[in-house]
Formats: sequence, structure tokens, C-alpha cells
Amino acid sequence: MVSVTRSGRRFAAATAGAAALALVLTACGGGSDDEGSSDGGSSGAPITIGTTDKITSLDPAGSYDNGSFAVMNQVYPFLMNTPYGSPDVEPDIAESAEFTSPTEYTVKLKAGLKWANGNALTSSDVKFSFDRMVKINDPNGPASLLYNLDSTEAPDDTTVVFHLKSADDQVFPQILSSPVGPIVDEDVFSPDAVTPDQEIVDGDAFAGQYAITSYKQNDLIAYEAYPGYKGLLGAPKTDKVNVKYYDEASNLKLDTQEGNVDVAFRSLSSTDIDDLRGNDKVKVVEGPGGETRYITFNFDTQPFGAKTDDADPAKALAVRQAVADLIDRDEIADQVYKGTYTPLYSFVPEGLTGATEPLKTMYGDGQGKPDADKAKSTLADAGVTSPVTLDLQYSNDHYGPSSADEYALIKDQLEKSGLFKVNLQTTEWVQYSKDRTADVYPAYQLGWFPDYSDADNYLTPFFLKENFLANHYDNKAVNDEILQQAVTKDPDARTKLIEKIQDDVAADLSTVPYLQGAQVAVVGKDVEGAKDTLDASFKFRYAALSKG
Amino acid sequence: MSTAPSTEAPGTPAPTATAVAPRRSGGGGGLGRYIVVRFLLIIPTIFILVTTVFVVMRATGDPITAALGGRLTPDQLQQRIHEAGYDRPILVQYVEYLGDLLHGDFGTTLSDNRPVTEVLTTFGTATLELAVYALIVAFLVGIPFGLLAASRRDRLPDAVLRVFAILCYATPVFFAGLLLKLVFSVSLGWFPVAGRASTGTEIELQTLDNPSGFYLIDAFRTGDPDAVGDVLMHAVLPAVALGLLTAGVFLRLVRTNVIGTLSTGYVTAARSRGVREGRLLRKHAWRPALIPIITVIGLQVALLLSGAVLTETTFEWKGLGFQLAHYLQARDFVAVQGIVVLIAVVVALTNFVVDVIAALIDPRVRY
Repeated sequence: MVSVTRSGRRFAAATAGAAALALVLTACGGGSDDEGSSDGGSSGAPITIGTTDKITSLDPAGSYDNGSFAVMNQVYPFLMNTPYGSPDVEPDIAESAEFTSPTEYTVKLKAGLKWANGNALTSSDVKFSFDRMVKINDPNGPASLLYNLDSTEAPDDTTVVFHLKSADDQVFPQILSSPVGPIVDEDVFSPDAVTPDQEIVDGDAFAGQYAITSYKQNDLIAYEAYPGYKGLLGAPKTDKVNVKYYDEASNLKLDTQEGNVDVAFRSLSSTDIDDLRGNDKVKVVEGPGGETRYITFNFDTQPFGAKTDDADPAKALAVRQAVADLIDRDEIADQVYKGTYTPLYSFVPEGLTGATEPLKTMYGDGQGKPDADKAKSTLADAGVTSPVTLDLQYSNDHYGPSSADEYALIKDQLEKSGLFKVNLQTTEWVQYSKDRTADVYPAYQLGWFPDYSDADNYLTPFFLKENFLANHYDNKAVNDEILQQAVTKDPDARTKLIEKIQDDVAADLSTVPYLQGAQVAVVGKDVEGAKDTLDASFKFRYAALSKG
Repeated sequence: MSTAPSTEAPGTPAPTATAVAPRRSGGGGGLGRYIVVRFLLIIPTIFILVTTVFVVMRATGDPITAALGGRLTPDQLQQRIHEAGYDRPILVQYVEYLGDLLHGDFGTTLSDNRPVTEVLTTFGTATLELAVYALIVAFLVGIPFGLLAASRRDRLPDAVLRVFAILCYATPVFFAGLLLKLVFSVSLGWFPVAGRASTGTEIELQTLDNPSGFYLIDAFRTGDPDAVGDVLMHAVLPAVALGLLTAGVFLRLVRTNVIGTLSTGYVTAARSRGVREGRLLRKHAWRPALIPIITVIGLQVALLLSGAVLTETTFEWKGLGFQLAHYLQARDFVAVQGIVVLIAVVVALTNFVVDVIAALIDPRVRY
């Protein structure tokens, strides 16, 4: 028991000591200023960006998500890229890029390119980058985007020849700007395995507008302008950028309004953004977004679908048309998303080359508003007895916290016409992903974020016979048109074809698109340049930002 | 383990020692055997937990569907699942996993491609730091208030403190965290909203050679008092939110034990000799009252770790609890299993150590 008494004394002393230490330290520390701790660069004050993005991997072969790609866009060079303000690609670190034969796409690199670590950046790095991407084929990676790449050749230090499987692939230049397109340093990256982030950072394997100087995954990244970048986008306006990763959008919002974050980009809630619009300390900057939301119909199991007891293609189409007639996109955009999403009347979002609005004129009142009378006559003409029972499914954990409100409103819009009786159901995402392709859901919510800023990315994955929706939509004419647009060399002819595809799919209504997500950044009053990078390329470049 | 107040004075040879002696000689129930049995019990405990987590995680989906379910065709998705080996019989995967585990190979996380050991060390230090702060808060609040409540037994301060104690351990930790954040960060602006340090400090800490990951230690190493202050300011609210949970338990425990000690014979004797109440409390009652706290620390570690998941999430304190929530959402089997194994080992070992200490202090706990 004596020892216990001693223990108690030591314990008491330790407790008192710790308490005193904490108090003294708390008293002497006044908190450090977020911005103040970093030295200013020659090109403006450092900027702190806040985001709720998540990074899977800095290795392009090991990630296929927005958070990782956002980093890659700052630090890796691309052969092709989108200039500020445009969705169309141009050579980035390349001098030229062109088809030298129907199945050969030849890229000439600029001379004298170097990595931040001093290594020469040559065509050998380019060949290495694409070869390893195909070889690794990581389950989390984007290698599937190289579906048309047969092989890559590097005949000299500045020439790269891509040999393609099918001829005249007009999408290939866009693919080079996509998540599969970052060029990596062959002296740092593994040829046959995903390279750990810290090895990449330690190897200083960067040659984009910025290099990473400090890295803590999904916590904090410090960037510094890389003067060796000689590409399309030019030198950054700000030398030093810090990006802080948040888990909760509410914390990001609080730090933004407190001035601890200069730029909040992805993803504040619509309510938070609406609230911040009235805050004198910040500006809300918006640009076109590539994210879309749509209702998908399963052609087998929807009302009157091919495998239902009362199968009737005409009635099934009438049901889809009636839904398109009744949805009030403005109401959803305003009430649920406070303007952070905008109405979408096509399958290709506004801002991309070839985007039209066929759903605006073909359905509803012809002006983009709903029309219950038209829906009623559409159903009646097809011999459909109303109300039609529609099982409508949405995911409660994948498309943000507003999905429940979004689908409650859609249910209300469909039911108040008296034409539908909607059974609204929700499922957790992993199960949802399995069920939707197993014909469990007759109609269901989906969203899409593009791999590259071309109309093709909103058509090929959706409306070919073999599509990721797996909703049994099969229109041979549409299928052929989609394949044709991908190999049409004349830009005007290709645009016309893309417009026609939208009209044709609008007539079939495999899906009913209704919202397009705007890109929104909330910036401090003294921050400029956000508008320049919130363009239809959907790539947010820190280099466009400046402060003070 | 007993939390009943001792009825003997400190230093008095415990009658329990003689009571235990015949068992030791007759039944082989000595301290050595007790320690061995307690240690061996750790193995099935961890095994059961590992198995449960393994089965449950696989029953709730795979990481590839979670990440890419909205982008790939069913065939592409199935192909990737097949290539990753997640469609193999669960028993085969389980045996392979156990084999790797026994070789100390925790694997690489599926959702962000990091060695699990790196995740455990990087985020484990953050959680450890928070747990230490929380324990300090628990001691600073629980012990003095427990003494105060005992010394004012059945009077207003006692009643108030008993209610306070109940509130402390009955209030969900995330609710306490949100409340503290709302009042002291959002409304009053006294403390930071979230994180372990400000951006500038974080960058400063990352420039250190071989940072410990324990931010307070690293901040001291920078020699920058602002960095130290910043780290402490960020720690206050998470530490209070988590610490109050345990403080309530400590308060009740200390109060009960001090009251018990104050009614023992040796205290009565001292009181009859004219020793003042304050001195009785300081010199005779509070030290033995602390003994039961040691025995409940084992349980509190488990409570702190489970509370850390919610506290870390609320305050974006990027520790193991924070990461666990993230990996669960991503269906990252490997990461979740690694973190749960570590937590299980920590809790089991802590309880083992506490049981041994308790057995050394009070031989009656040796069965």
C-alpha cells in the first residue's frame, strides 16, 4: 500500500504538471495566422484553398476520381489540354498533335522540357506513362479510357506516335487531357505498380504549373509554382498555394467566412452557398459545370416495359414522355439547390460544343416549364390508364444530402398532376449500384461527372447498345450515329451529328436529364481569377487565382 | 474489478492477503498464473473481433462498387472485382488475410493506396494525442470536482456536481462536440472550428525532420511559441468534448470513494484527534480514493477510443477514428480491419495491464 501512496503522489504531480503546462502554453500561444505563416511569393500573396475532395492517389494509374484529378491538373504535364475558357483541347506541352494516318496520332513535344527534379522530360516518359497505365490497369484507375490505344512509340526524344485500334478517333485528343493523360517521370514512377504518393513527392516528379512542396494526404498540400512549365496555360498568377482538405462542408464554410480559407471549391452545400451569398466578406463565383443529374428508365421493368406482364413499347414511351412533360426543372434547381444547379434540357450539358436543348421544345409547354395537360393527353393517346404507378429509386448517400428533398419534389411534381402514383424508395449506394444493373429498379436516379469535356463523354457511355446504364435501351440508328460522330474528322459535320443524336435520344427518352451542376467557388473579396478557371473544361486551376 | 471503497487505512496490511494465500497454495491461483491466463485471453478476443469485422465488411459490399458503381458497365465492374480477387470464396480470402496478419502484413488500403501500417502510425499518434488531452481534462475536472462533491456531501454543490457528472457521461460525445463548437467557435470565436492546427502551422510542422506526429511535441521542436499555442488552441474543444465523457465517471468514482474513506475508522480516529476536515480530505481521504480510477482506466480507454471516432469526425481531428469513418464509407476492408485490429490490441493490452496492476494492488481480484 505504500507503493500505492507513492503512485498517487506521482500521479497527482504528473496531473498538476500537465495542467500547468497546458495552461502556460495556451496562455503564451496566441494562435497562428493561416496566411501569415507562409512567405509571400513574387507573384502575389499565398492563397489557401479549402475543399472536401478526397485524394485516392497521386499516381494517375491508381485513381479515377475528382479529388485526385484536381491535384494532377496542377502538377502533371499533359500532351493535350483545354485553355482557359474553352472545352476544346489544344497541345499543352506538345508543339503539335495530329493524325498522321487514320490509326496514328503523332505528338511532337516542345524541346528542352524538364521535370522539377531536373530530369529531362522526353517522349520516353510519355511512352512510359501510357504503357504503365495499360499494364497496371488498376481497379481504381482510369485505364479503361485507353480502350482504343493499341501501342505507343517514341521514335526520338520529342516524338510520340500513338497507334490506335480504330481509325480516325476524334475523341482521342480529348482522352489525352483526361484522367488517363498525365505524363509521369519514368525515373520516379514504377513501371508495373501504383507508386506511393510520398515517393512521388519525394522524387519531385512534377512538371505542371505547380510542384508539391509539402504533402499530407487528404489533409494539406503546399504547392509552389514550377518555373520549368512551358505549356499552354502559362505561369501561375500566385507562387504559393496551400490546399486544406475538409471532411465536413460545414467546417469548410465556417473557415471560409472566418477568412481562414481564401477559396472554397467543392463542395459546399447549396444552403451554405446561398447563405454565403449574403456575406460581405466573400464572393460567390459560378461557372458552367459538367455534372448532370437524370432519371434512368429500365426498358424491361418500367411500367409497360418489355418484361412486364402488360408489355407495350408505345405505352412505355408514353410514360417516359409524361414524366418529361411534368418535371419542373426550375423548381428543383431553385428550391432544392438554390441555383447551384441549373435546369438541363439535353443529354450534353450547356457549354460543350454541340450542346442543344431538345427536351425544352419537345416536352412540357415547349418553353421548359411543365405541362400537365400535355402529359395527360400523351398517356391517353397511348391508351394508358392513369394514375400510373411508378417505383422511383434514389441513393441516399451518393449524390449529396439534398437527394431526399430532390426526389420528394419530383414525386410531388409527378403526383400533383393526378397522372402518377409514385412509390419513392431509397437505398444505400453499394447495394444501389448492384440493384440498378440487376433490373431491380424500374426508374432511378443517377448522376454523371465527365472524364473529358467533349459531348462524346455524355453519349457513348449512355446510349450505345452496351452502356453502363444497363437499362436495355437499344436503338441501332442512335448506336451508329454515336460511333460515327467519334470518327468524323470535320468539326462542323461532327457537331451536326452530335445535335442529331441528342434529338434522337430525346425522342426515345432512355433517360430524362433535368439538372446540370454549376461549378461554384466561394472566394474572399480580395481574390481574383476564379471566374477564369470555372469554365466548361471542368478543370479548376489554382494558377488562375490571385490575391490582394 | 472492485470499485468499492477500502475500509482500511493506507499502509494497513490487507486481510485479503491472508485470505488469498490458501488459494494460491492449494489451487495454483497465483499472480503468475493469473497474468498468463489474462494474457492468453487477449488472443481469442482479438480473433473474434477480427473475424467479425472481416465477415461484416464483406457482407456490406466492396470498395470497387462503392467507388465506381455509377460509372462502369456491370461487366466492367465484375471484371475489376474479379481482378481484385473479391469474388473468391470468403473462406479463401479470410485464410489469406489471417496469414498476412500473422506475418505482420496489414496490407495496403484499397481506397487511397496507403500501407495500413503507415495509416496506423500516422493517424494513431493523432488519436493518442487526443486521448492524452482528454485524459488530462478528465483528471482535471473529475478529481477536484469529485473531492468537492464528497466534502459537501448532500449539499447544493454535491447535488449540482452529481447532475453535472450524469450529464457528462450521458451526453452523446458528438452532441457535446457540436454544442461546444457552436458556442465557443462559431458564436464566440474563441477557438478554431476544426483541425489539429492552422494551415501555416501544419506546413511548419511538416518541414521538420522526422516529425513525431504528436503535434504538441513537434510544435515545441519548431521553437515557435505561436505554433505551440495554435496546436493547443485547436486541441481545447476536442479534448473537452471527449474528456468530459470520462470526467463524469471519474467525478462519481472519486466522490463515492472519498465519502467511503471519510467514514472509515482511521479517519474517524483522526477526526477525534482534532484533525480538521480539510486536512482529513487532503491527507487521508483523496489518495486511496484515486485507486479505483486506475482500475477503470482500462474501460475508459475503450470508451475514449469509441468516443474518438465521433469527436474526431466532429472536429476534423484527423486521427484513427476520423479515418475509420472515412474507410467504412468507402468499404475499404483492408483499412477498416487494420484499424480495428489496432484498436482491439490497444484496448486488450490496456485492460491486461490494468488488470495486472489491480491484482498487484488488491490480491482479491485474483480468482
